[in-house]
Amino acid sequence: MTQTLSPPLPPSPEDRAERAEHRWAAVAVAVVTLLVVVAAVAGLRQEVMPQSRIETVNLGTLHLGGEFVESNLGSAIEPDGSVTVRAIGQQFSFTPSCILVPTDTPITFRVTSSDVVHGFLITGTDINLMLVPGYISKITAHFQTPGERYMPCHEFCGMGHEGMWGRIKVVDKDAFKQMAASTRRLSCAK
Amino acid sequence: MMRERPASEGVGWVPVSIGMTAAIAVASIIVGFGWLPLQQRGEEFRGVWDAICSAAGLVQVSSGTEQVVQADYPTTRIELTPQMLRNPSAQSIGRGATLALRCTMCHGARGLSKADTPNLAGQYPIAIYKQLMDFKSGARASAVMGPLVSDLSDADMRDLAAYYAYLPREAQPASGAPPQIVTSGAPVRGIAPCGSCHGALEVKVGAAWLGGQPSDYLRAQLKAFSSGARRNDIGEQMRNVARAMTAEEIDAASRFYADRP
Amino acid sequence: MPSSRRLILAHLWFAFVGFGAALLLGEWQMYIRSPLHTWISDPEWYYRSVTAHGTTMAYVLPTLVAMGFGYFVTEVALKRPLIGLRWAWLGFALVALGTFVAIIPVALGRASVLYTFYPPLIGDPFYYIGVVLVVVGSWIWVALMGVNMYAWKRQNPGAPVPFAMFATVAGSFLWGWTAVGAALELLFQIIPVALGLRSTIDAGLARVFFSWTLHAIVYFWLMPTYIAYYTIVPRAIGGRLFSDAMGRLAFVLFLVVAMPIGIHHLFQDPQVGAGFKFLQSVFTAIVAVPTLLTVFTICASVEIAGRLRGGKGLLGWLATLPWDNPIMLGTAFSFVMLGFGGAGGLINMSYQLDSTIHNTQWVTGHFHLIFAGAIVIMYFVIAYDIWPHLTGRALDSVRLMRAQLWTWFVGMIVLTFPWHYVGMLGMPRRMAFYDYSDPAIAAQAAWVTMSVIGGAILVLSGALFLIVLVRGQMAARIEPGLYRFSVALREPRTVPAALNGFGLWLGLMVALTIVNYGFPIAHALATPGTGVPAVMVGVGR
Repeated sequence: MTQTLSPPLPPSPEDRAERAEHRWAAVAVAVVTLLVVVAAVAGLRQEVMPQSRIETVNLGTLHLGGEFVESNLGSAIEPDGSVTVRAIGQQFSFTPSCILVPTDTPITFRVTSSDVVHGFLITGTDINLMLVPGYISKITAHFQTPGERYMPCHEFCGMGHEGMWGRIKVVDKDAFKQMAASTRRLSCAK
Repeated sequence: MMRERPASEGVGWVPVSIGMTAAIAVASIIVGFGWLPLQQRGEEFRGVWDAICSAAGLVQVSSGTEQVVQADYPTTRIELTPQMLRNPSAQSIGRGATLALRCTMCHGARGLSKADTPNLAGQYPIAIYKQLMDFKSGARASAVMGPLVSDLSDADMRDLAAYYAYLPREAQPASGAPPQIVTSGAPVRGIAPCGSCHGALEVKVGAAWLGGQPSDYLRAQLKAFSSGARRNDIGEQMRNVARAMTAEEIDAASRFYADRP
Repeated sequence: MPSSRRLILAHLWFAFVGFGAALLLGEWQMYIRSPLHTWISDPEWYYRSVTAHGTTMAYVLPTLVAMGFGYFVTEVALKRPLIGLRWAWLGFALVALGTFVAIIPVALGRASVLYTFYPPLIGDPFYYIGVVLVVVGSWIWVALMGVNMYAWKRQNPGAPVPFAMFATVAGSFLWGWTAVGAALELLFQIIPVALGLRSTIDAGLARVFFSWTLHAIVYFWLMPTYIAYYTIVPRAIGGRLFSDAMGRLAFVLFLVVAMPIGIHHLFQDPQVGAGFKFLQSVFTAIVAVPTLLTVFTICASVEIAGRLRGGKGLLGWLATLPWDNPIMLGTAFSFVMLGFGGAGGLINMSYQLDSTIHNTQWVTGHFHLIFAGAIVIMYFVIAYDIWPHLTGRALDSVRLMRAQLWTWFVGMIVLTFPWHYVGMLGMPRRMAFYDYSDPAIAAQAAWVTMSVIGGAILVLSGALFLIVLVRGQMAARIEPGLYRFSVALREPRTVPAALNGFGLWLGLMVALTIVNYGFPIAHALATPGTGVPAVMVGVGR
C-alpha cells in the first residue's frame, strides 16, 4: 500500500521571519568578529599595539633624579642604533619643546607628566598618548620623511591648555648622527 | 528561541549564555594575555609568564637606569607641592620680619623696592621659598644673593616666605589693555597666557606673582631664561616660554606687569 | 492619563530647560574658538562654559529624560499607578538640587574641570557633591523601576512583562551598575581631596573608575531612544514590531556588555595593561551586535508599516511611509545619524584606528553626532508622542515639529561632519582658541566655521522644540485616549524566563565586570606610591 506523504507545509510567516532574524544575527556576529580579527592582525603587522608594560615613576622627584631629569631629556642614540626620546609634559609646555628625531630609525618615545593629565599627539601620525602623572607612557615609531610637525597637548590640563603646542622635527638620519657626535641628548629646542 | 517552546526543550538559556560569555572571555584572555604579547616584535619578555604579567598590567619598576646624563650645572633641588607653606603661624611671620631686616637695603622696608630689585611684598610664599633655596644651592646664580642667603636655614627661608607673603602688595593703577602675549600667549609657539601660571587665571605652584615688578628686572629674567643663563625653572618650563618670545614681546610683557598691581 | 503625569512633566521640563541653556553655551563655545572670533581674553570662561555644557548635557538632560520616560512607561505598560510616587518625587528633588549644587560653583568659575573631571585637577567640592546628588536621585528611580516590575510579576505570574517595561528596567539596571564607577571615583578619591582631607590622588586609578561609567553611560542615554524605536515608532506609523523576542534579546545584551568595556576609553593610557585593552576591545565589538539587531528589527518593522500602506517592490515601501508624521521623520533622521555615528564608533573602538584620532576633534564630533544627533532627536520624538498624555492638551503644531526635526538633523550634519574632518587633520580637543593664521592650522579654519553654522541651526531648532512644548501646555484640552505601545507581529503568550527577568543577565554583567575590571582596579589600589599631588582649580575666585 503506497503511502503518500503530505507535502511539507510552506513555511509560515513567523518561520520566515525567524529565519531572517537568525540569518541577520549570524551576519552581524560575523561582521563583528571579522573587525576584531582584522584589528588584531593589522595591529601586529603594523606594530601599532598598546604599550606592553606599565611603569610607574615618582612624581615629586622627577626633576631631582632618574630618567626624566632635564639634562637627560631629548633624543639619545642607543648602542643598537635605535633612538630613545625622553620628554615630559607639564603645565603648559613639553620639554624638550622641540623634539629632534632621525628618519629610518626605530624610535621609542618615553614620556611622562610632571603634574596633571596631558595629551601627546604628533599631528598627521598615530603617535597618540595620554600622559598620566605617576606613569610612563611609551610608544615606538618610525619616521620616513623629514619635516616638521606640531605636537599639541590634546587633553584639558588647565587654563593654559590652549598654549601647549610642542614641535617635532624629523631630520635626515645622517644629519642626526652628525649632530649626535657633539652631544648626548639632542633636541631642537633652541 | 522565538517560538513558544516548552521550557524543557532544547538547551537552556542559562548554560548557553554563561557558556558563550565565558568562552569569549577565555578566548580573548588567551589571545590578549598570551598570544598577542608574544607576537609583538621588539618586546623582550623573560618568558611566557613575564609576557602575561606585563599584559595584565603588573607594575614594573622603571628599568630606565641606563646611563642618565646628569646636568653639568646645579638644578633646583626642591620638591614642590601645592600644600607647602600654607597657614603660617604668627611666630613664623614675626621671625621672618626680623630676618627681613637685612633685606631692606635692596628690597625696601616693606618689601617694596625703589630700585630694580624685585618687590617681595605679597609674593606667593612658595615662590620666595624656592628662589631662596635655589640661590643657596647655586641653582640660581646671583653674585649678590648667593652670599646673602648662605647662612639661612630651611626654617629661616620658610619664615621669610611667610613674612613677605603677609605684606600687602603695592596698589597701582592698571594701565591700558594687556598685550596679546600676556592675555593669549602664542599658541603655536608653545606660549600659554602668562596668567595661566602667574595668577591672573591660575597659580601654578612655584610661579611668582608678577604684578608691580620692575620692568628692567622682568626683562632681565626673561632674557636670562631665554639664553639659559637662568636655569632654576623646573623642567625648563620658563626657558621653553622665554626662548619662544620675541624681544618685543619680552619688552611688552615686562612693561605691562611693571605697571600693574 | 498617567497619574504621575505631574512628576513626569517636572522631570522633562527641568531637563529641557537645562538643555536649552546648555545649547546656547555650546554654540557660544563653537563660536568663540572658531576663526570668527578673536582669541578670548580670558580662556577660563571657555573652560567654565565647557564644564557647564557638558555637565548639563551629559548628567542632567539624559538622566531626567530616562527617569521621566521610565515613570511613564511604568504606568502605561503595566496599566496601573506608579508604586512609590513619593520616593520618585524625592529622587527628582535630589536631581534638581544636585544640579544647582553643582552648577553654582561652576558658574562662579570655581570648578572649571570639565564634565570628565580628570584628576589631579580638582575644583570646588560642591561641584562633585552636586553630581553625586544627581546620581543618588537617579538610583531611587532605578530602585523604583525594579520594584514596580517585580510587583507586577508577582501579580501576573508567568505572564510576559510588557516589552516597554522590560526594556526600561534593563536600562535602569544598567545605569544603576554603571554609575558605580564614577561614584567610587567621586566619593573615595575626588571629594576627600576637594574637601582638603587628603592631598594626593591616584590619577590613573581615577581614570579607570571613570571609564567604568564613561562608556556605559552612553548606552544609558541611548535606552530611551531604543525603547522608542521598538515601542513607539511601529505603532506611530501604523505598523507592527517585527519581533518582540529579538528586542528583548537586544536589551539584555546591552545590559551585559555595555558596561565592562570602558577601558577602550583608556586605549592610549599608560596605567592599564595591554591584555585588558584587548579583552575589553573584544567585548566592545560585541556591543555592536545589539545595535545591529535593532537596526534590522526596526527597519523590518518600518517595512511592515510601509507594505501595509500599499508599498510594493524591494524599496517601494519607503515611499508609502507616513513622512508627514514627525515620528517617522525623526526616526529616519535618527537612523541616518546612527549609521554615521555608529561607523565612527567602530573606528574608535579599534585600538589601531583610535590612535589616529584619539582626543582630536573627531571624538567631539563623533559623540555629538551620535548622542546629540541620533539619541537626542528621539528624545524630541518621545516628548512629542507622550506630551498630550501628560498635559491633557493637544499637541498639534505638526508643521513646527517637522521643521524642528529637520533643522535638528540638518544642523547636526553641518555641525558634526566638518568636525570629524578637522579631527582627522589633527586638531586637538578642548582648547579655548587656535591660531588659524598658522599655515598648518589654516586648513581647518573653513571647516570649523561650517560647524559654527551648524550649531546656529541647532540653536534655532532647540528654540522651536521649546516653543512646541510650551504651546502644548497652553493648547486646548483634549481627551488623549489610551496610550498604546507598539504591538509585535505575534504577541508572545509566554516568554522564556531569561527574556522575562534579569537575574541571569545581572549575574553575567557583574561577573564580566570582575573579570574585566577587577584586576586593574585591585592592582592599582595595591600599588603604593601612585598618588600625585592635587592641583586645585579656581582657588583664587
